Amino acid sequence: MADRFLSCIVVTPEATVRETPAQFVVLPLYDGEIGIAPGHSAMIGRLGYGEMRISQGGRTDRYYVDGGFVQVSGNIVSVLTNRAVPATQLNAQAAADQLEAARRRPAHSPELLAIRERQQLQARAQLRVAAKARS
Amino acid sequence: MAKARALDKRRKSIRNIRKITRTMELIATARFKKAMDRASAATAYTNRITALVAELATAGLEVSHPLLVARNETKSAALLVLTGNRGLCGGYNSNVIRMALVRWKELQETVPSARLELSGKRGISAFKYRHIAAERTFTQFEDKVRFDEVDELAGGYLEDYITGRLDRLDVAYTKFDSIARQAAVVETLLPLGSLGGTDVTADTAKRVGPQYEFLPSAESILEEVVPTSFKVKLFKCFLDAAVSEQVARMVAMKAATENADKIIKHLTMTYNRARQSQITGEIMEVLGGVEALKG
Repeated sequence: MADRFLSCIVVTPEATVRETPAQFVVLPLYDGEIGIAPGHSAMIGRLGYGEMRISQGGRTDRYYVDGGFVQVSGNIVSVLTNRAVPATQLNAQAAADQLEAARRRPAHSPELLAIRERQQLQARAQLRVAAKARS
Repeated sequence: MAKARALDKRRKSIRNIRKITRTMELIATARFKKAMDRASAATAYTNRITALVAELATAGLEVSHPLLVARNETKSAALLVLTGNRGLCGGYNSNVIRMALVRWKELQETVPSARLELSGKRGISAFKYRHIAAERTFTQFEDKVRFDEVDELAGGYLEDYITGRLDRLDVAYTKFDSIARQAAVVETLLPLGSLGGTDVTADTAKRVGPQYEFLPSAESILEEVVPTSFKVKLFKCFLDAAVSEQVARMVAMKAATENADKIIKHLTMTYNRARQSQITGEIMEVLGGVEALKG
C-alpha cells in the first residue's frame, strides 16, 4: 500500500493548502517539468512558475504554483511555495496586468533585468495555466 | 434623593462601559485564535524551509549569498515599525514606539541616510506628534496579514538591497513568545546574518539521511532559499505583531472589565447606603411630625 501511493503536502506561508495521497504528481521545476511517481529517489528541487498536477484515482487536480521548492523523501512529497491557487480560480486579468506592468519596468542593470524577467515569467505562467484550465 | 439618583446614574453608565469592554475582550479572543492559527501555519512552512537549509548544509555546501553578508559600510538603512491601527490594547503600541525611537536616533547618528517606514495608524500618529517624517506609511496590515502583501513589500526591500539602495533593514515589532510573554524588539533582517539550521553540529553531520539529489543544482536552490527565508521572516514579524496585538487587547480589556465590576460593586454599596439613610431620614421626619401633633 505504502509503495503505491505518494503522500503529497502542499504548504504556503499562509496555510497548508493540500495534504493528500496521490498516485502521481507533476511539478514545474526551474528548468522543466518533473513527474514524481511512488518510489522516487530522494531529491530537492527548485520550482519554477507553472502548473502542478496531482493525480489520484483517475482525477487530476491542477494548481498554479509560484516558485518555491519540492522535497521528495520516502514517498513524501513536500511542496513549499509562495502561492498555490487552484487553476480554475486564477485571475487571468490580474496576470495580464502584471505582465504589462513588468514590460514597462526599466531594465538598465543586470539586477533590474533579472527582476523584470522573473515578473514576466510569473505572469506568463499564470496566463498559460489559466488558459489551460478554461479550455 | 439627589445623591442616590446621581449614584444610580453613574452605576448605569459604568455598566454600559463594562458591556463594551467585555465585548471587545471576546472579539479580541476570537481574533487571537484566528491569528494564532495563521501563525502556526506559517511556522509549519518556516520549519520545512529550515529543514531544507539543514539538508543543504549537510550536503557539504558552503552557504554563502549576497544577502547573508554584511556590507563593509552602511550608507543607507531603513527602519520598519509595526504598530496597530487601533488603541485600547494596553502598552502594546507604546512599547514598540519606544523601542523604535531609540533605534531611530541611533540610526540617524550612525548612518548617512536613514529612512523610516511605519505600519499602523498608532505608529504614524506617534511619529507625527514628534515631528519625525516617515518615508512610507501603511495602514492596510490588520490582523489578517496576507502573504501576497508582505511578499510585495519584501520584494521591494530585496530589490533595494540587491541594487545597493539599501544596506540594512531593521524591523521594530512585538515578538510573540507565548500567550503570557510578548516583548517589543528591534531586529535586523537585512543582511540576514545566518539562516536557521546552517550551524551543523556533529550530530546532524553524522546523521545518516537519504542522499538528496539537487535539481537543477544545490547552488541554484540556495539562490532561491535565501530570499524566500527573508520573506518568510518578514511575514513572521507581521504575524507575530498581529497575534501580540490581540493578546494585548485581550488582557487590557479583561482588566478593564474587572475594574468596571469593582466600581459597580462599590457604587452599589454607596447607593444602598445613601438610599437607606434617606429612608431613615424620612421616618425620623414622620415620627417628628407625630410627636409634634401629640404635644
